[in-house]
Amino acid sequence: MSLLIDHISLKPTEEYHLNDVTLNFNPGKMYTILGRTLSGKTTLLKTIAGLQTPDSGSIKFEGADFLSVPVWNRNVAMVYQQFINYPHLNVIENISFPLKQRKMEENIIEKEVKEAMEKVGLIGFELRKIQELSGGQQQRVALARSLAKKAKILLLDEPLVNLDYKLREGLREEFKKLFSGSEASKSILIYASTDPLEAMQLNGDIIVIDEGKVLQTGSAKEVFENPATAKVAEITNDPAMNINKGHIQDNTLVMNNNVQIQIPDQLKSIPNGDYQVGIRATDLFLDDNGFSFDVEISEISGSETFLHLRNNDLKCVATIEEVKTYEANEVVKINFDKSKIYLFKETGELLHSPYQQ
Amino acid sequence: MAKLVLDNIAHSYDPNASNPVFALKQMSLSWADGGRYALLGPSGCGKTTMLNIMSGLVTPSHGKVFFDQSEVTRMITEERNIAQVFQFPVIYGTMTVYENLAFPLKCRQFPEDQIDKKVKEVSEILNLHNFLDNRAKGLTADQKQLISLGRGLVREDVAAILMDEPLTVIDPDLKFRLRRKLKEINDKYKTTLIYVTHDQNEAMTFADNIIVMDQGEVVQAGSPKDLFERPQTTFVGYFIGSPAMNLYECSANSENQISIGSNTFKVHTNINNTHSKDLKLGIRSEYITVESKLSDNSLEADIIEVEDFGNYKLITASFDSVKIKAKVKRELDIPSEKVILKLPAEHCCIYEDNKLI
Amino acid sequence: MPKLYTFLKYFFVILWACFVIAPFLWAISTSFKDFNSVTGGATYIPWLQFEPTLDGWSVLFKPGSQGGINIIGPYFNSIFVTLTASLISIVLGTLAAYALSRYTFKAGFVKNNDITFFFISQRIMPPVVLSIPFFLFLSTLGLLDSLAGLILVYIVLLMPIAVWIMVDFFNRVPKEIDETALIDGCNPFQAFFKVVLPNSVPGMLVAGLFCIIFGWIDFFFAFILTFTKVQLLPVKIVALNSSITPWWSLSAAALVSVAPLIIVAFIVERYLSKGNLSGALK
Repeated sequence: MSLLIDHISLKPTEEYHLNDVTLNFNPGKMYTILGRTLSGKTTLLKTIAGLQTPDSGSIKFEGADFLSVPVWNRNVAMVYQQFINYPHLNVIENISFPLKQRKMEENIIEKEVKEAMEKVGLIGFELRKIQELSGGQQQRVALARSLAKKAKILLLDEPLVNLDYKLREGLREEFKKLFSGSEASKSILIYASTDPLEAMQLNGDIIVIDEGKVLQTGSAKEVFENPATAKVAEITNDPAMNINKGHIQDNTLVMNNNVQIQIPDQLKSIPNGDYQVGIRATDLFLDDNGFSFDVEISEISGSETFLHLRNNDLKCVATIEEVKTYEANEVVKINFDKSKIYLFKETGELLHSPYQQ
Repeated sequence: MAKLVLDNIAHSYDPNASNPVFALKQMSLSWADGGRYALLGPSGCGKTTMLNIMSGLVTPSHGKVFFDQSEVTRMITEERNIAQVFQFPVIYGTMTVYENLAFPLKCRQFPEDQIDKKVKEVSEILNLHNFLDNRAKGLTADQKQLISLGRGLVREDVAAILMDEPLTVIDPDLKFRLRRKLKEINDKYKTTLIYVTHDQNEAMTFADNIIVMDQGEVVQAGSPKDLFERPQTTFVGYFIGSPAMNLYECSANSENQISIGSNTFKVHTNINNTHSKDLKLGIRSEYITVESKLSDNSLEADIIEVEDFGNYKLITASFDSVKIKAKVKRELDIPSEKVILKLPAEHCCIYEDNKLI
Repeated sequence: MPKLYTFLKYFFVILWACFVIAPFLWAISTSFKDFNSVTGGATYIPWLQFEPTLDGWSVLFKPGSQGGINIIGPYFNSIFVTLTASLISIVLGTLAAYALSRYTFKAGFVKNNDITFFFISQRIMPPVVLSIPFFLFLSTLGLLDSLAGLILVYIVLLMPIAVWIMVDFFNRVPKEIDETALIDGCNPFQAFFKVVLPNSVPGMLVAGLFCIIFGWIDFFFAFILTFTKVQLLPVKIVALNSSITPWWSLSAAALVSVAPLIIVAFIVERYLSKGNLSGALK
């Protein structure tokens, strides 16, 4: 029943769109492909759907070769980030389209479509034209169409990214409920996202991808707590984890001339040398005994304030648990929890994490 | 530079109808010279109509518009000293950056040397001085948007720069750069900036003063902190902050005590003078704390779900058949079935008919 | 200030409307005049200033033996040739444009854009350059002086217009719509006919309008490639001309020949505002 992606690469031009990707997907689980814009998420989804063909490697589904099966016979469903529907059809025609295409019986189609519409809350909109719907409703139609199909593989390409902030919040919760239903356990769910919080909230397996390459796979908790590389740590945190060059010398961690700390006990075994030091924005806090930083800009996100800080060449972002505007060039005192420090090798691999056993 | 005043304006797109529908209900607003404003609201709330009234694209069906002392209600856009930045950068692709920036001055027949001086100055501020001889076509999206902005800045007579969702087409990491530039420009030139958006994060990050609109009305104007801590209406409580404010129907017991079902809570609001039956308690999920034993203002709730967002955990629980959300630190140990939550009295907002008292 | 602006706006709009309508009014009044009324100085109001007559119109329908030109045959020839050629051009042009918009073609340095340009380049050449090859081509096929021959030539002339308009149109339709159709179980042909085509009606109407206009107004090729058996309207109308320019019957002919275009334009305009892709083009 599983989908096996085996060493696929796609390199249409000079750059890899997919670089030696090997993944294994099982039904009943939610997979989140987490990566920045243009990291290869969409290409990967389209390759699974059959809209793109890899240059090398193989894809097997339920044990059989998948690459030789054309898109229209693959039994997949996909929801795009743009609200893609058939503009010439009304809501109910849109949702029943794939079922009619399969020549299913009228009464079964009717039942399935109704069920899907109930799930996404579109009852009452059956005869509306697509153009008469709001963005959120249009995306619900696209979602209903892919749910009604009961496809074995459901691909969701940043389905919420183009929606208003508040709508996104609400719809994301609904998604989670939809995908934890019993029907969903029969299909493979793959959700692409750029938003680490979204990936954490969906709470499935996370696949971190960058420049077409899979950097890490694992449960949400595992990837968050023990990112395999500094790059993963940046991608899986919002704001990105602060990664700065640091130097360990005689139990002192030197970040620059001003910021130097005695290293905590857990790090005593680390040999002297140059490292990349990571600390989450949420682990920095205002403290009168802390280090002085200049505020470059403050950003308010939801209920928090992100302070972009600088101390000479040392730059970092701190998340402050309040809504407050700081002026540029204001000086703040910042401290951090030493036990929350990550160390990465200069080449990027994780050396120490606060959650390591 | 000038102060903008909207005096008792209202607008209906069909004012002669027997029962006209107002896109903008009657209001008066004034915009201080040099202020940094955001006009925030969901789509269809009337913010674009308001912007168009200020820019002159729409003549209000009622009321007057003043720039300082002079009335401009019926003036067309070109006659008002207004610069506009739209969602999509408006640049002259075949001209160089220099020519683009000089264009508004050339059109107004300024002397060459004065144009040169001004363009150099503005390009410096916008970090475009190294691209002055490049064709505008080849620049990145945020640089193009800066040119649109720069064409407003070169004119010293500009009273305000109106921006309609200017960051829509900009990549997330470039947004940060551009937002910071906007603040710098406001600091340096003291030009009034008015920024229209539906995204609360953008509004709160950018502006000192946010005007929240809903259904053609201004529901609250204030600093980001005000909006977050003391939302004037339940709509603002819902719209600002993530997750939305917890809201419960409640009844008044005494001068400063309310009850929700069987639970009673102290509040710092005098509720003796309320008349309406529609009384609500609002509290931000950030202010709710997890306690080990019951005390004043606390309640026991059944946990429905605990979501791990990485940066924080979100508890969803229920008491008296209503839901409550509490945002807590990730490190906190949360019991598995029942949790004691405290609603601090100083953070409880009481709403009568959905308005704060 | 805004009042002056509004006044000026309406003033110029009305001025322009007069400028456009006046020739038609002039042609209508001229078509009901005779030699004396036309040459006797400017007159405007029938019955008062001149005596209306149907002479100008009757010439159009009288057979040649009675000094007329009998345009009924050529009229229907023109309609038939234009519509057939336009229809075939739209069908082929839409297919070609879809392929050019969605698939990548490459033959050496020739890519999609070059192929599109090749189509339109057919229209860049002055017609006279094409006249000799077309003449030889049709005579080899034995299609000179036949409706089929004309249709063939018109397809060559009209299809580039259809391709040009439709490529641009398809480029603006998100390809994700086709992809969704493929994912929903359509093979590429079904995706085209069930999803792409129904959403392309506005583009096809515009392309059709242009094809009909350019087909209908052609004189040059109709003149060169037909002789006696087959005649098209523009060629026939020119036959009206003699030592004395018959302004009255020329006016009537002009009105008759412009009428179908006006009707087509009104129909197309109505449908253009109906179909739009805003729902898909978010």
